[in-house]
Amino acid sequence: MKTKLLWLSSLTCNGNAHSFLNYHELSLFLDNFEFIYHPIIDSSYTLDDIAKKDIECDILLIEGAISKELKKGDISVIDMIKKYAKKAYRIVTVGTCASFGGMFKNKGEGLHFLQERELEEFRYFKDKTVSVSGCPVHPEVLADTLYMIKRGYDIKLDKFLRPKEFFSYTVHNGCTRNEYFEYKIDNHNYGEKEGCLFYDHGCQAPYTNGSCNKILWNEVNSKTRAGLACFGCTQPQFPKENLFFTKKNMGIPQYLPLGVAKRVYLTLAGISKTFKIERLEKKLFDD
Amino acid sequence: MKREQIMNAALKLFAKNGFYTTTIPDIAKKLNMSVGNIYNYFKSKDILAQEIIKYISSYLGEKLKKINLEKISTKEKTKKIVKIYFQTAKNQPEMIDYFLRVYLSNREVFKGGCEGMICINEFMVEIMIYFEEGVRAGELKDQDFFSAFGLFMGYLGGMVFLKGEGILPSDLDYYIEDISDNIYKALSK
Amino acid sequence: MIKLIEKIEGEASLDFHFKDEVIEFVDINFFSTRGIEDILKQRSVFDALVINPRVCGICGHAHLIATVKAIEDCYDGLFISEKAKIIRELTLNFEIIQNHFKWFYLTIMPLMGFKQYLLKATVPSSIAAKAIATIAGQYPHTSYAIAGGVTSDPVYSDLVKIENYLNEIMNFFKKNVVDIDFEKFTNCEDVNSIFRHRGDLLDVLLKILENGWEKVGKSYDRFLVLGENSYFMSGKSLKTILRENIYLNKIAESENQNSYAKNVTYNKRYYEVGPLSRAMIKKTPLVKATHRRYADSVFSRILARVCEIPQLLNHSLKLIKRIDLGEPSYIKPPLEIGSLSAEGTGVVEAARGSLVHKVFVKEGVIKDYRIITPTQWNLSNGTRDKPAPAQKAMMGLRSTSLAELVFKSFDVCSVCTTH
Repeated sequence: MKTKLLWLSSLTCNGNAHSFLNYHELSLFLDNFEFIYHPIIDSSYTLDDIAKKDIECDILLIEGAISKELKKGDISVIDMIKKYAKKAYRIVTVGTCASFGGMFKNKGEGLHFLQERELEEFRYFKDKTVSVSGCPVHPEVLADTLYMIKRGYDIKLDKFLRPKEFFSYTVHNGCTRNEYFEYKIDNHNYGEKEGCLFYDHGCQAPYTNGSCNKILWNEVNSKTRAGLACFGCTQPQFPKENLFFTKKNMGIPQYLPLGVAKRVYLTLAGISKTFKIERLEKKLFDD
Repeated sequence: MKREQIMNAALKLFAKNGFYTTTIPDIAKKLNMSVGNIYNYFKSKDILAQEIIKYISSYLGEKLKKINLEKISTKEKTKKIVKIYFQTAKNQPEMIDYFLRVYLSNREVFKGGCEGMICINEFMVEIMIYFEEGVRAGELKDQDFFSAFGLFMGYLGGMVFLKGEGILPSDLDYYIEDISDNIYKALSK
Repeated sequence: MIKLIEKIEGEASLDFHFKDEVIEFVDINFFSTRGIEDILKQRSVFDALVINPRVCGICGHAHLIATVKAIEDCYDGLFISEKAKIIRELTLNFEIIQNHFKWFYLTIMPLMGFKQYLLKATVPSSIAAKAIATIAGQYPHTSYAIAGGVTSDPVYSDLVKIENYLNEIMNFFKKNVVDIDFEKFTNCEDVNSIFRHRGDLLDVLLKILENGWEKVGKSYDRFLVLGENSYFMSGKSLKTILRENIYLNKIAESENQNSYAKNVTYNKRYYEVGPLSRAMIKKTPLVKATHRRYADSVFSRILARVCEIPQLLNHSLKLIKRIDLGEPSYIKPPLEIGSLSAEGTGVVEAARGSLVHKVFVKEGVIKDYRIITPTQWNLSNGTRDKPAPAQKAMMGLRSTSLAELVFKSFDVCSVCTTH
């Protein structure tokens, strides 16, 4: 029996839908799940059907920031959400916009949260909801979560309803630049394999919940491995300001690694900075 | 607490007579201990010197930490820090003296095992936190750490040095108000 | 009569006005805007590199490249290495390729009455996404192109992997879309010789001819290409009469009442943008030959778009060989961001056509930001007297489903249009 999925788009760029289309086992997925509606690929019903009729739905997937005013033609998006949130036995907010408001928090909200603030409106659905945040969502994280729901596994969720299996890691876990972080080699220049982006270039990986460097993106890489900062896209506050720069107060990073007390960080940093590790001061491999 | 006794006695002698002039026998004599016994606790004079600076850093660090944890303004914290520093200079002058006259002036003694600032880490961390929280609270100007550090500590160290040389006419207490004010004005936004 | 069109990277409504059973005019309306241009205001200019890919989930990379070019245009004396230039062009090519595969298999084939072969769209697209991720970290939504170059430092094995991905896509194209020789295909000047081949493209083209649709979808026969790179040439043409000089100040946007999408004209005229335009300006032999026969009908538009896939694959393989890894990926800009006060424009060719970004910066902060997307060009909401390209293409038809085919032959991106 295929589990019936209803993918509803609110205020979105469709990045989550396209990210999901990169999932490497799509064929098997479609043997297990059926999209009764999907914004891009063929689905059993049209948007009109979904709005006007009562279609059976197992899991409601919401992508995009939720706006009370949003209409598609004469169809009110929030009415559809209310209707199917009741019918579905689980709800999944796909991506950071549907989870926290995200990029479009100026025009909409997440289902249960606006940034970190809990919302009242859909409170009675909170027990049904799982949030897979990310901008975009990682296809494997979404697919695995849907399979876990389908097979009745007891998914442990954090306080933002995100599956702990994926979101207890920090994006820092598994980054190939870790040694530069460990030994506080702060001299990072863009376009180089060496160096850590935490101290100067805004990398939020040490305090961002996600598995990007564990599962890897598109099965091959991650932003930080490619020399780009993690911008904290799974977090309620995404996007913050001055994303390419590390906010420092008198030279000390304002945001420290998750769960690490300031005194601990400063003591370790102080000690690490005292010693020079030659191998890490040089290029990984010379020409 | 033999260890602490040795460190305290050594601290006073080093501060008063200088590092190289003071010998292990001098320290042993002051404590009525044998030289061999001293060496049971500290393998060399250099290592003893390093342990002493760590001890001082821990002592001052602990006092600064208490101030940092208080829910008061940065302005008030500044005054309290100056006060602690001057109080220590008054009541345990050997501590500040050691810092200025032994630690800072005989870097070669501290090279192997006290590289950089690792032995004064606890003290440095609290100063960093004072600065960081001051900037975060919007009271202090964001700037390079060492520029601010030099202003604060250089000023205080300098005053203690002058007192030690007998040049300051009044007690250090007398200067707390104006000095705190100057420091805060210089560092604030 | 209002028809809701869905699955066009969002939705739109077409309001058909009939007269004597013929479509006299069509109002095109888009429903909402996310206000990206407002989100950007007062932010640090580099933040645009993170925000702008989120204009769109399928062509966000084009927005990234347009953004970085607009920002770089603000500096005097900023240089990027040839290596960085090539890498940026490559990743944009890969995005264009996955766009065209998705459009062909998810939109066009079903409209022609065939099944939707989902995997034929997603398999080559996810390989193209891997190719992008190999240098840019992830796809969708990377910001790896920054002012001064790119953030990554690729090695030979990265290039090897990308070449292999491209070859995989080429094999896929040959096996499914059309079994051609890559070098010969676009250089061929006889449209009829295509029909000697087999593949899904042929099935579609034959369907078009069977139904007489090669006469349908004709618009102004006026083409515009604003972006230039090592493959595409900028210019404009009326039919085949080409003018090479493009002046960006002749572009004008205007609000229109019922829709959240703004209209856009060049020198007060509507122009078509996209693969057909690019091929007409570049004078790609096969497309020129097709146009001679079928003008700017759906036949030509579809062929031109699908045709871009082998061209870009081929060209990308050549570009990779030109990369000198010894060059720096990134050259620090000459000015600190806090001192940057200027205007800058970035123009690129995205999958659907020309994309323009304009940024106004004061002391490193965005004062204003303007984006004009390709779908705005094709799908402006003009008037009866002066319809926009897609509107003109639908006028005169008798059936709304045929009109929908014509509409979608322009490859619509609703989210981009309203941004």
